[in-house]
Amino acid sequence: MSKKQQKSSSSKKGGTMGRWFGRFFYGGGNHLADELEEKDGDRAAAMDVEELVSPGKQILRNFLEKKLAVGALTLLVAMFIVMFIGPLMMPSYSDSYTEVTQQNIPPNMSMMSVPKELKNDIKMIDGFGSFTVGLSNAGKVYVWGPTQIGTTGIDVGQIPQEVQDARIAMVAAGIDHIVAISEEGKVYCWGNKRLGQYGTEAEAMAADGKLNPNIAYMPEILVTEGIDVSNIRKLTCGYQCSAILMNDGTLYLWGNKLTYANINTFLSISNLQDIDFTLNYVLGVNSKRESIYTGTRGLYDVVRENVSGPTTKIKDYLNGRTIESITATSSSACLLLSDGSLAFVGDFALNVKPVPALAEGEKFVQVVGGSYHYTGLTDKGNVYSWGSNVLGQTDVPGKASSGTTKLFSGAFQSYGVDEQNALTAKWGLKGYLFGTETHGADIFQRIINGGKMTMTIGAVAVIISAIIGIMIGCISGYFGGRLDILLMRVAEIFTAIPFLPLAMILSAVMGRMNLTENQRIFIIMCILGVLSWPGLARLVRGQVLVARESEYVVAAKSMGVKEVRIAFKHILPNVMSVILVNLMLSFGTCMLTESTLSYLGFGVQYPRPTWGNMLNSANNATIINTYWWQWLFTAIFLAVTTICINIVGDALRDVMDPKSSVEK
Amino acid sequence: MGKYIVKRIAYMFVVLVILSFIMFMIYSLVPSNRAYTDAMADLQAIKGSYTAEQQQERFEELYLQYQRRYGTDVENRVIRYLRWVGLYPLYDGSYNGLLQGNMGYSYQYQRPVLDVVSDPMKVTIRINIFATILALGITIPLGIHCAVKRGSRMDQAMQVGTIIGYSLPTFLISILFIWVFCSKLGWLPPSGMKTPGTNYTGWQYWKDSIYYMTLPLIVMTFCSLGGMTRYVRASMIEALSMDCIKTARAKGLREKVVIYSHAWRNALIPVVTLVVGWFLGIFSGSLVVERMFAINGMGKLMIDSLQTSDYDVVLLMQMFYVGMSLLGNLLIDIIYGLVDPRVRVSK
Repeated sequence: MSKKQQKSSSSKKGGTMGRWFGRFFYGGGNHLADELEEKDGDRAAAMDVEELVSPGKQILRNFLEKKLAVGALTLLVAMFIVMFIGPLMMPSYSDSYTEVTQQNIPPNMSMMSVPKELKNDIKMIDGFGSFTVGLSNAGKVYVWGPTQIGTTGIDVGQIPQEVQDARIAMVAAGIDHIVAISEEGKVYCWGNKRLGQYGTEAEAMAADGKLNPNIAYMPEILVTEGIDVSNIRKLTCGYQCSAILMNDGTLYLWGNKLTYANINTFLSISNLQDIDFTLNYVLGVNSKRESIYTGTRGLYDVVRENVSGPTTKIKDYLNGRTIESITATSSSACLLLSDGSLAFVGDFALNVKPVPALAEGEKFVQVVGGSYHYTGLTDKGNVYSWGSNVLGQTDVPGKASSGTTKLFSGAFQSYGVDEQNALTAKWGLKGYLFGTETHGADIFQRIINGGKMTMTIGAVAVIISAIIGIMIGCISGYFGGRLDILLMRVAEIFTAIPFLPLAMILSAVMGRMNLTENQRIFIIMCILGVLSWPGLARLVRGQVLVARESEYVVAAKSMGVKEVRIAFKHILPNVMSVILVNLMLSFGTCMLTESTLSYLGFGVQYPRPTWGNMLNSANNATIINTYWWQWLFTAIFLAVTTICINIVGDALRDVMDPKSSVEK
Repeated sequence: MGKYIVKRIAYMFVVLVILSFIMFMIYSLVPSNRAYTDAMADLQAIKGSYTAEQQQERFEELYLQYQRRYGTDVENRVIRYLRWVGLYPLYDGSYNGLLQGNMGYSYQYQRPVLDVVSDPMKVTIRINIFATILALGITIPLGIHCAVKRGSRMDQAMQVGTIIGYSLPTFLISILFIWVFCSKLGWLPPSGMKTPGTNYTGWQYWKDSIYYMTLPLIVMTFCSLGGMTRYVRASMIEALSMDCIKTARAKGLREKVVIYSHAWRNALIPVVTLVVGWFLGIFSGSLVVERMFAINGMGKLMIDSLQTSDYDVVLLMQMFYVGMSLLGNLLIDIIYGLVDPRVRVSK
């Protein structure tokens, strides 16, 4: 090996370092390097004796000549850094995060991009799911954000012509439908209507020939006679339900009964003062404005002063004050009381941002709510957000507090509007770079965290297989004889076991036992490691067999060095480079095996992401086509990583193999 | 040679026994108790007419009966293993194990395992024969071509292409191909084995099944292209640098003869290893492709049985896989001797 390197290095004269730096700064052109050599000619002559380049340097130099491999290595290192530093930047990430209103959203960054025409003329903004609907004072409706509804092919962004022609007075958005009321009192709905989001009984009869008992159909009167716009107190939409509350307490309520547990009690009610939807319940304020009406006893009868803390009975807490308005999020509601203070009912997650303490004499005049956050405006014009901050909903920008007189909110966004109806500030969720998956979690975050998991599993598996393989290879190669035969037979047994089926069986057997997820993952690493050592062991054995006969080993032996010490301290370092390349390639293989196992459902299981099980959902043509973002980005990351590993590994192997470099 | 083969077969047998023992031990880790479930089921059927105490008594009786039948009435795992193989008598003194032809009973399908396995194996073999022929037919000429025209643009493109090919997991390639050919182009069906609801015979049946098999075949072929082409190329390059090639060229032989007669014969030796392994894969089927395209082959049966904990089926299939790969090793050794005269001489 050294002879050949001598030959190749003697063909180029000059200081190695000089050439390196030359290449580093001036690029790889040969003439530049030659120029440098000429300049340094004197020094080169002085260093003539030291022409011999160490194998490591030679390898490095040859490697740097391969542009593709260097590029791949850079990409790989970048990938590693992102995967291991990235998760540290996501304090709010959790494996089991699910969000029902954000499922299957395509990649976009438009969830907060209010259209230019609307920006200075905002009348109202509303949102519940992925998209947000806005209304200008001119009566024109705008929709932004991802407007495609799942696999239905419905696009709520296609506003019906009659709505565009009419002058709209009010809009509200549900999870997959929009309700608009024109100034003439006509009610328009569009979007998904499969689960009774809109449509009257007569329409359903005409279309299907039968009625669905789980649907509260839209009242006929809204379609035939329209509605008195000046008398509407509130128009609001829930998950798949909509409600119009009139000033005289009349309530029009329709939608999917299955989504709201207590919807039946509201269908025949009147005399409410306010109404809103959480994710599972309809909440009303009773006629005396002193309690929350849900139709279910005890549900929202106790309030707390802030998002956490002790609860008090609502009557005691109110103590004569009345409820001005109610704003509901997914699992809780905020009550704005007549004296400007707040009260909360319902459940809050742990560690949510509490309502800030206001200055003396300051009080809230308006509170709006998204899915998990509230935004409040005080009489001094200050704006505060509180609640969950998982998607950045409560990071209020400084300019929000200057001149804002009205607040609106989408599901995860808040908008401030000033006296002239112009937008002052917007904050919250901009969108998802890579979209969301079936449970509503951000795919980008899962890719980063899944990458960490995939790479960790691959690395640990490789380390395990390296330890076993190197030990057995060294022992077998150095000592030879019966031990060698025995160990090689064992290796042969291991290679005779079909890899994937056995790994699947082992992991299925593990699944029947009572193990925690972490233990399972560790066992998967071990399975991968234990099953993949024979190849490495053979390689090491072959290398050691060659090295055993070399002079330095003979020298060490004659000096009386212990055999074990010779095997591991003298021979092993000399065959290390070959081993490292092999480990790198098998790291790629382990990653692939892990993702195949997880993809088939025998590796790491759902809430914990890996690149394999993130692709698990892409198992039929419809999903592969409609929700392309759910597999494409993960696939790109996985493919790029393994391709880079293989390119680098291949290049290294070529570089280290003196035979192949001489041939070329 | 004869002695050598006998030695190899003996060794193979020992390995098979060791592996079957290991497999059996792994399965005995599964917390499932067939005797208990069966006794419970029987008890449910006759429950009505007994009091609680009688039920208990009856259950114990049934449980013991089933345990004795299944050979699980002893705690000793080695005895259970021997009973499974058929070398140790059951409680009643009879032998009923693998050696007696009892390959196990599938609980999912309520049939003997051999019956369960036979149909999927036919399907798997049919697909894999096509896939193997296609893959070999493409990769070997391609590998030789790349080796001969080494460093050409075509070769360089193939180098990058094949790295990509073998770096991607099969399931990813399947997803990509389904996306392109089924969703975007709409040329081929995404899954299944025949048009649903049809019952074709003869020519129509073949036409229909080829239509459905095309995409899985393309995927399987594509997956094997990367690794195999590189392998053929590498061993061909190795062979082309031999002295005998120089001699052949110096003799003035035609380039075709040099390549296909002299070099290829030498390159064949490492390639044989891969090809034999591949032919054995015909029987085991591809776990991923079969699941992806809903083909009722061996791989899908394996996954289904694992998911429904039908461990008799899994155990037998695993033993089958192991046997296949051992047989493969033996075949490789023998074929080595056939294609490489040196091996024959040295043995």
